[in-house]
Amino acid sequence: MDDLDKKLLNSIQSGFPICSRPYAAIGEMLDMDEAEVLERLKKLKASGIIRRIGGNFGPENLGYFSTLCAAKVPEEKLEVFTQTVNAYPGVTHNYVRENDWNVWFTFIEPSREVIARNLEEIAEKTGVTEILNLPATHVFKIRAKFSL
Amino acid sequence: MLTEIEKKVIAAIQGDIPLEANPYEILAEGLGMEEEAFLGILKSLDEKKLIRRYGATLRHQKSGFSANAMVAWKAPEEKIQEIGETMAGFEAVSHCYRRDPKPGWPYNLYTMVHARSQDSCRDIVGQMAQKTGLSDYSMLFSIRELKKTSMRYFETE
Repeated sequence: MDDLDKKLLNSIQSGFPICSRPYAAIGEMLDMDEAEVLERLKKLKASGIIRRIGGNFGPENLGYFSTLCAAKVPEEKLEVFTQTVNAYPGVTHNYVRENDWNVWFTFIEPSREVIARNLEEIAEKTGVTEILNLPATHVFKIRAKFSL
Repeated sequence: MLTEIEKKVIAAIQGDIPLEANPYEILAEGLGMEEEAFLGILKSLDEKKLIRRYGATLRHQKSGFSANAMVAWKAPEEKIQEIGETMAGFEAVSHCYRRDPKPGWPYNLYTMVHARSQDSCRDIVGQMAQKTGLSDYSMLFSIRELKKTSMRYFETE
C-alpha cells in the first residue's frame, strides 16, 4: 500500500460520488485518472483491504429494529449455538469474547417481536437459555471510517 | 415510508458497487431502469439522509487496526449524557451506545475501541476511564469472529 492508496482509501469511505462516472470523479479529486483509480481499487479489493464498496444503512431509518445480544454458551454447545445463530440473515456480527457472557451478536429484523421470537427459538433449539437482549436506547456515536 | 423503487435501489447498492467505469448504468440495467432515473433516486435517498455512510468498508485487521475491544461501563444515569459524549470524543471509539442494564449484567454504556494492539486498546480504555471518572467496567476482547456480514434489506419483499 503506497501513499496514493492511502489517500484513495481515506477519501472513498464516505461520500462516494453519485454520478455517471464516479471513479472519474474520485480521480479528479485526487489528481488521478479513472483507469488508475479503478486499477488501484481492484488491487485493494483483491488483497482484502477493501471488504466492499456500497451503501451502509441505519436499520432504524429503513423501518427495521436492531439489538445487541449476549449469551452464556458452554464450550460444548458453542458449535451448535454458532450454527443456529449464524443461520439467521438478520445476525450480521457474531464474536466470541473474553467473558462469562462469551458470545455477542447483533440482530436486525423488521420488528422487535421478530427479534424476541428468534431469541426464543434459539434458546429452544440450543438449550442455551441465558441470552441478553440489549437494544440501544441512545446512540452517542457511530463511525466506521479509519484514517490510514 | 419508502417506495418500492426506493427499496429496489437500496437493495442494489447495499452489496458491492461494480468496479467498472459505469457502475450505476450496470446496476440500473439489473433493475430494468434508466441510469438517470436510478441516479435520481439514489441522490434523493442521500439527501434524505437515509444512507448512513456511502463508500468503502475496510477490513480493519488488514488496514492495521487489528485489535478491538467492546467495553461495557457502569455509568451513573444522571451523568450519562455527558459521559457518553466524552467517550464518543475519543478517536479510537467507533461506536458508543446506552443500553439498559439487566439482572446479572449491570452495565449501561458501551463503547467499541479499535487500536493496533490489545495493549494499545488497554491504554486508551485507561484514558477513557480516567477522563470520565468511571472505574466499574468490563473490557471484552474478541477472541474469535464467528460472523461478519452486511445486512441485506428488502431482499425478500
